[in-house]
Amino acid sequence: MAMSNSPAAATRPARSGGFTSRKLAPYLFLAPFVLLFIAFIVAPLVYAFYMSLYRDTLVGGRQFAGAASYIKVMGDTKFWGGVWNLVLFGIVQMPIMLSLALLFAIVLDRGQVYAKGVFRLGFFLPYAVPSVIATIIWGYLYGPTFGPFTQMAKAFNLPPPDFLSPGAMIFSLANIVTWEYVGYNMVIYYAALKAIPSDLAEAARVDGASAWQFARLIQLPLLWPAILITIIFSINGTLQLFNEPYLMRALARNTINSSYTPNLYAYSLATSNQQYGYAAAVSFVLGIVIAGASYIFTLITNRRRPEQ
Amino acid sequence: MTKIFNPLGRTMQRRDFLKVAGASVAVAALPAAARGADPVKLLVWSWLPDFQTQIDMFNAAHPGIQVKLVNAGQGAPEYQAVRAGLKAGSGLPDVVHIEFQFLESFRQIDAFADIGQWANPHKAEFPEGTWTQVAKGNVVGGMPWDSGPMAMLYRKDIFDKHGITPPATWAEFADAAKKLHAADPNVFLTDALLSNGGWVNGLLWPMGWKPIRRDGDKLAININDKISKDFAAYWQDLITAGVIETKPGFNNEWYTGLDSGRYATWLTAGWGPVFLTSVAKTSVGQWRAADLPQWDASKFATGNWGGSALAVMKATQHLPEAAELAIWLTTNPEATKLYTTKQFLFPCTTALLTSAEFAGQKMDFYGGQAVNKVFAKSAAAVSNFEWSPFQDFLYQSMEDEFGASIGGKGTLSDAFDRIQDAVVTYAREQGFTVD
Amino acid sequence: MTATTDIATFEAAKRRPGERRRSRIILTLLLSLFLIYSFVPLVYLVLSATKTNGDLFTTFGFGFGTEFNLWQNLSDLLARDNGIFMRWMFNSVLYSTVAGLGAAIFATAAGYAFAKFKFVGRNLLFALVLGAVMIPQTALVVPIFLLLALSGLSDNPLGVILPSMISPIGVYLMCVYIEQGVDDELLDAARIDGAGEFVIFRAIVLRLVAPGMVTVALLSFVGTWNNYFLPLIVLRSQEYQPITVGLATWYQLAQQGGGGGEVLFSIIITGALVGIIPVIVVFLLLQRFWQGGLTAGAVK
Repeated sequence: MAMSNSPAAATRPARSGGFTSRKLAPYLFLAPFVLLFIAFIVAPLVYAFYMSLYRDTLVGGRQFAGAASYIKVMGDTKFWGGVWNLVLFGIVQMPIMLSLALLFAIVLDRGQVYAKGVFRLGFFLPYAVPSVIATIIWGYLYGPTFGPFTQMAKAFNLPPPDFLSPGAMIFSLANIVTWEYVGYNMVIYYAALKAIPSDLAEAARVDGASAWQFARLIQLPLLWPAILITIIFSINGTLQLFNEPYLMRALARNTINSSYTPNLYAYSLATSNQQYGYAAAVSFVLGIVIAGASYIFTLITNRRRPEQ
Repeated sequence: MTKIFNPLGRTMQRRDFLKVAGASVAVAALPAAARGADPVKLLVWSWLPDFQTQIDMFNAAHPGIQVKLVNAGQGAPEYQAVRAGLKAGSGLPDVVHIEFQFLESFRQIDAFADIGQWANPHKAEFPEGTWTQVAKGNVVGGMPWDSGPMAMLYRKDIFDKHGITPPATWAEFADAAKKLHAADPNVFLTDALLSNGGWVNGLLWPMGWKPIRRDGDKLAININDKISKDFAAYWQDLITAGVIETKPGFNNEWYTGLDSGRYATWLTAGWGPVFLTSVAKTSVGQWRAADLPQWDASKFATGNWGGSALAVMKATQHLPEAAELAIWLTTNPEATKLYTTKQFLFPCTTALLTSAEFAGQKMDFYGGQAVNKVFAKSAAAVSNFEWSPFQDFLYQSMEDEFGASIGGKGTLSDAFDRIQDAVVTYAREQGFTVD
Repeated sequence: MTATTDIATFEAAKRRPGERRRSRIILTLLLSLFLIYSFVPLVYLVLSATKTNGDLFTTFGFGFGTEFNLWQNLSDLLARDNGIFMRWMFNSVLYSTVAGLGAAIFATAAGYAFAKFKFVGRNLLFALVLGAVMIPQTALVVPIFLLLALSGLSDNPLGVILPSMISPIGVYLMCVYIEQGVDDELLDAARIDGAGEFVIFRAIVLRLVAPGMVTVALLSFVGTWNNYFLPLIVLRSQEYQPITVGLATWYQLAQQGGGGGEVLFSIIITGALVGIIPVIVVFLLLQRFWQGGLTAGAVK
């Protein structure tokens, strides 16, 4: 038993204040995280909400505006247009990214491939590339005139693909995000798989389950919380898409305008438009949209949750 | 934590001060406040590469002032930091690097001090069009640092091959565009940088475009006037004919396009010639400079694209010293000359613009042509231009709407109408009265 | 015995060797396809780092340039702006390491509290922590800057390090991990033996959940390493900046001609390549902790 690992176990007298410390303990364990959480998430959020109730104007300065900004967001076609872009993006990109990550995590966890370590590192590596650099690299590969795909197409006398056209852009961005984040999600699944107690595999073997049955009946249900959380994180990451379109603008300013995604819109409102209050309101409404989308998704998927 | 990162140890500064205090020559030139006491510390924000060289020269010449240089980002990120600092009321520099077109936007939020009493004596050292960028009458917010008078860079080899002479007028330019593309479908006379607000503005400038005129809090907004409609019709014709491209500039596709001969001209500004040498390799020796094509061949008119100033922040605690810093860095003959040889800024001072060393400099990249002379001629002819008090918003609207037009949403003329609507709405929201 | 070996035995019992090898080869090939996809852009990055600026725009992306310029690019990179690049590397390593360690420890402690204790407000707090990821970054960064300015922490590395230690996904992962991987009976036995709560946490929980902590530390390390927006807004001085902000500053010089524009692509690409190396090293060092799965088999 691991108990012998605990040096305190031998020395401490039994039940010394155990009861009170057990009641206090969770608060102490939470304290460092919660303090940072309050300082860097709750406080800025409250401040941002306060800002959203005011309107900054170049003439006349700051005035109280109440809910005016929120009412304006409701009818702002630029904002909802950006949300719609990302809904399209998410429907295509999320299932592909997450199912690949899940497949890789299960295969690598089982060790049913050669050179496991190479794959694990190789899949994770793109996540190590900052999105600034990743977008520059993919931007080169997408190049409609001189990019390698265009050059290859020309060599075979095919019409060159235009990855930066208004119709294709959303998929080109989806590809960059998939490239960057498959490894990230794989690592999360991988860690969750490692947490599955090993005696379950033994039990399954005794029951005569196949590898596929084991994955479907044992691993998937136990992984379900991790899958759900990555879905919520992906919904969240998708609707907050910023870096990739922001940097891709240098190549495709004619396709990506300043309200292409809601975060890009909020950013231009806060920078070039100097409408800080309205930018804060847009961010809040976006947060509500994200929360709503995540909640609806949780409801739908929980109904279909695989049985354990 | 801060201590580890502090690059200027206290002792170091004191030693420096004692050392330079011994050199009594310069002391008389110092503002009284600086003499005998600890040196005045100034903070300057700029993204200019290797600027520390000139800052060191200033520090050496001004024992009572210690200047620290911070790179707070190029353009937009730095402005964002200035605005955040203004809102927070702290964390601002004394002197800040700001592009000409955004000076008015910062004046609008009362960011600058008036250094007129020290700066006005230097007025005659700059071309009039340049000086009006930083001065409103006798009120001066900063000092002109570099500028971007426009002209045309073109590929002599491509022109010669197709029997084209550098177009002197826009009509000739359009003819050349059609002729060139018909002769070789892989070559375009130019890439119109319509998704760059500064480029569009620079070309509308010589046409006498006055998009936003201001009288106190009253604005006259005439973005979609006859001038911009003429401009739109001209370029729309070339776009519809398919003889020019409208791809965004300043990315690797575009650099390759310039170098590989896909584009035969670049309508650019004074900083363009040196900029081009850093990206073009196979086309060395083939480039030449010529005047910007003209609408009316009898009246030479030109515009400005880019250029910047060193402005003094209102929040400075050391106004005379900060003013001295901005003025010295932009007028000292040695320092200003160094910008043109070390950092390759296009100069503002008339002395440099007319000097044999700068204007007469022959560059191999341009087949031995003294290209600066072409741009210096443009610099002398640049007229005054009134910037809007919210230039970022105007540029962003222009870039969004021109992009939409190129993507298929109406014509360039429609885009100007949409920009007009967006700007009028925005101006009213911001509390301006719009006629 | 670890989970991996268990499954391996289990697989071995189920299948004949020939069948096993065939499925192994098929899976390896399948994964190799994706590996190629993952590597293509990186190959471009490596090749580009060997080129001069001119070659970068004129030669084919998946080939070498006219000259091999990697060493020159490296020395240009290290010499640029008085060697500021190494300073950025140092900053990135420092911020990411401290943030990664902090995030792992705080998330483990918080996850443990959520997983193994019942206390007032538990569900609400957990929902709040997870809900926090739904807050758009744009909503937070500007207020964070203004609040930091008020508290005198603007242009201070702590303004980047402290927020980076908050990892809601870390708390979630550790909560799930501890729920599944740490047996209640084990904790109760320790309590009956008289161990204090902190001792139990340190001596039992921390040991059992090492792979999970490594995951959180790794994700936070890389997340901080790649963060651009927060340090951009919070840090002013170049000597405090991490490499993302530093390289982006150089990149922007090429975006705009006026006011000292300069195209530094070859240096930036080389810097990006050098900047990935520490992340690879950290990954290789930390992945050892995954090999064994849950440690010591103490769960059984």
